[in-house]
Amino acid sequence: MAIMMPASDQAVLDRRDAIVAALRAIVPGEGVIDTPAEMLPYESDGLMAYRQPPMVVVLPDTTEQVSKVLKYCSEQGIKVVPRGSGTSLSGGALPLADGVLLGLGKFKRIREIDFDNRVVVTEPGVTNLAISQAVAHAGFYYAPDPSSQIACSIGGNVAENSGGVHCLKYGMTTNNVLGCEIVLMSGEILRIGGKSAENAGYDLMGIITGSEGLLGVITEITVRILQKPETARALMVGFAEVEAAGECVARIIGAGIIPGGMEMMDKPAIHAAEAFVHAGYPLDVEALLIIELDGPSIEVDELIKRVEAIAQGCGSVTCQISTSETERNLFWAGRKAAFPAVGRISPDYLCMDGTIPRGALPKALTRIRELSEKYGLGVANVFHAGDGNLHPLILYDANKPGEMDRAEAFGADILRCCVELGGVLTGEHGVGVEKRDLMPEMFSEIDLNQQQRLKCAFDAQGLLNPGKVFPTLHRCAELGRVHVHGGKLAFPDIPRF
Amino acid sequence: METLRVRDAKDVEQVVRAAVASEQPLEIIGHGSKRGIGQRMATNAVLDLSALNAVTSYEPNELIITVQAGAPLADVKSLIDSKNQQFAFDPMDTAPLLGTPDIGTVGGMIGAGLAGPRRIKAGGARDHLLGAHAVSGFGDSFKTGGKVVKNVTGYDLCKLLAGSWGTLAVMTEVTLKVMPRPESERTLLLRGLDDITANKAMTAALGSPFDVSGAAHLPGSAFRTASSALAGLGAGQAVTLLRLEGIGASVTHRAASLTALIAPFGAAEPLEDDASAAVWNSIRDVLPFAASGPLGAWPVWRIVCPPASGGALGQALARESGGDVIYDWGGGLIWAALPPKPDAQAALLRQRVDAAGGHATLIRASDEVRRHIDVFHPQAAGVAALGERVRASFDPKNILNRGRMARGTAT
Repeated sequence: MAIMMPASDQAVLDRRDAIVAALRAIVPGEGVIDTPAEMLPYESDGLMAYRQPPMVVVLPDTTEQVSKVLKYCSEQGIKVVPRGSGTSLSGGALPLADGVLLGLGKFKRIREIDFDNRVVVTEPGVTNLAISQAVAHAGFYYAPDPSSQIACSIGGNVAENSGGVHCLKYGMTTNNVLGCEIVLMSGEILRIGGKSAENAGYDLMGIITGSEGLLGVITEITVRILQKPETARALMVGFAEVEAAGECVARIIGAGIIPGGMEMMDKPAIHAAEAFVHAGYPLDVEALLIIELDGPSIEVDELIKRVEAIAQGCGSVTCQISTSETERNLFWAGRKAAFPAVGRISPDYLCMDGTIPRGALPKALTRIRELSEKYGLGVANVFHAGDGNLHPLILYDANKPGEMDRAEAFGADILRCCVELGGVLTGEHGVGVEKRDLMPEMFSEIDLNQQQRLKCAFDAQGLLNPGKVFPTLHRCAELGRVHVHGGKLAFPDIPRF
Repeated sequence: METLRVRDAKDVEQVVRAAVASEQPLEIIGHGSKRGIGQRMATNAVLDLSALNAVTSYEPNELIITVQAGAPLADVKSLIDSKNQQFAFDPMDTAPLLGTPDIGTVGGMIGAGLAGPRRIKAGGARDHLLGAHAVSGFGDSFKTGGKVVKNVTGYDLCKLLAGSWGTLAVMTEVTLKVMPRPESERTLLLRGLDDITANKAMTAALGSPFDVSGAAHLPGSAFRTASSALAGLGAGQAVTLLRLEGIGASVTHRAASLTALIAPFGAAEPLEDDASAAVWNSIRDVLPFAASGPLGAWPVWRIVCPPASGGALGQALARESGGDVIYDWGGGLIWAALPPKPDAQAALLRQRVDAAGGHATLIRASDEVRRHIDVFHPQAAGVAALGERVRASFDPKNILNRGRMARGTAT
């Protein structure tokens, strides 16, 4: 494991039996798991290169139990790692050897569907897709659609601020959640927001969303639901050069068109996907765009025409337009299966997740090609082109000595390149352990200290999910100190009125 | 009181550090257009950001603009308008309501976070702030977020800065999302509905797939003011308004479908492009309660509540207080002008609003009234305590806009 996790507390490990007994008193029966064999499924999440058995797994099924577990751990100085479905691609739910792994999988009830207020109140263990399914009969859905939506939990979506193919038009998780019930590390239960568009006071829901399980444990969530667009159609457009595809994306946006989704794949990704799902992708193009337009059919038909003209103006060499739902789904099938498709052509792959300004796409792809040669590892690129979110898949073989380290170094260089081009380290997968040590590439120590102070406002002992997001941990007392500069001076050198 | 007109982020750091050292709380202003909102503050000096007024970069194809916090909002709106783009959250101009001369700065727009009618579709100020540079109460410049639309790197401090009324940090530069301006718009208008029926009509429209981007209701009482755009609409009769935006053919198609859907509530009359836009601006800026109008001396509350309960809440409030209300966000936003009382009828109003699961902020009231009541809605003890810890994590010495959001902390 290339990333160092916080040192284990031997005093906690020595008390393991007593801790397990105490947790059993709070969560009876099968809710506490402490044998190595049964804990095996919890050793890692979607970032499978990293594994660590937890000290013990606890699966509460009421908010009261969550509160008591956290209160007990807080009093005993025991670390806690929350977990939803365990699909994080950044290691957000990676356990700690001396930590309690707190699984929310038993919170799988939708508590209320309120069509008049257009919200669903749900427990955090409900899957993303299950929310859409529960409201589909009335024509509604929940908009954010991460690729893992069959499996990933809504609680995990809130923790990671998950995105998906359609977030260009419909926003990420943070734009679609209104409230939650959250348990702080102290055991205190709070309700933030609700069915109103905004909550009172500071936007605490906004800061909890995307906090990667470091601020509290969510036990209930209120999400917005939307009416499904009347119809959706997609174009599949091939280009002989990546630059032309990039230009096409810029011109579509520049023309004031916000597609429901706009995805790009490069040649290696196209070939891998086509071999896997036979979607009819053109194999002799350098870049393929899938552009989906949704809304009333009269609007979609008009926008399809406009987008087709823009694509031709950018020198497209192939253009197919879906005429049925079957065909539209086929266009998407290859893109949606891109990760497993790449898994077939390479023993292992690393999925990266940087965002760049859209205009920097050709530069980024050139740089990735150069890095691919430098590291001697293949790469396939899939790309949420509409919002600049790049997913290079680095191909490697973990059984070959040194290849995993090389792949990780390659990935780190790609993310550094994203930051250099004016972008960011992660667009939707989160920092977790995976990108933790790259945070200084984007943030100064002052920036990171301010974020950690906020963490202190929620969890002053730093017991909740430590070792994630922040490369260096500071004590809250140290972070909170105000350094007085220059004594009791009047305001110097500033124009006055 | 001393006013310090800072020239750059370094100046801001210096001023805040000096304020920390000398324990002199600062009032943070751009143009000062919203100074009258909030609790009365205990500040000894004014930090004026109006000289930080540059547009750092504007890239229409990236849907992003970066500006210094003191940039005049009117200028920035004209700039993006010249590229057929807009701030989709429809920032409110508080000038008519407060009787101030100016719409203010971009920093003030974010700090106040007052979104207009399109919030139901496009989100609020918090959804459009992508990144910021700011100086904390530690006197340190920090940055958060980025200059791209999709970013989950680190905590999303932008969400806290939006709507924090300058109590957490002094923003010096912000990056905002801009969106294409719709090619056309049309408003469907229903007449004569009572508040509860209107709420039902709006709920039906917003629950449809027709992509309604504005849903408001003006009871007949709203027309006692002869404000330009609204005057021609009502003639004393209530109107319910539903807006559609997009390409022309789509708007026409959806207008037909929506007209059929809401037929049980009455025959919808169309209101086309310019007339439609003017009406929504009037609603956004709450012109029926304008400072220059007949209710100019009444305190004005901004109530946010679950949208489907808005009609019943507003109707009860108007009846029991003798005041006037108008509805936006499909019932989820109620503006209430209540006959003057020493407590601005806070006790009555908050009781009703709490019962409906909403919250209320006193946007317009005299200094004297604001001295005696909570301008911002009191929160449950645990949430309030967490909010205070969050505030202190940015500004432990309570130097920035001390006491603006919490009564009794101004000393």
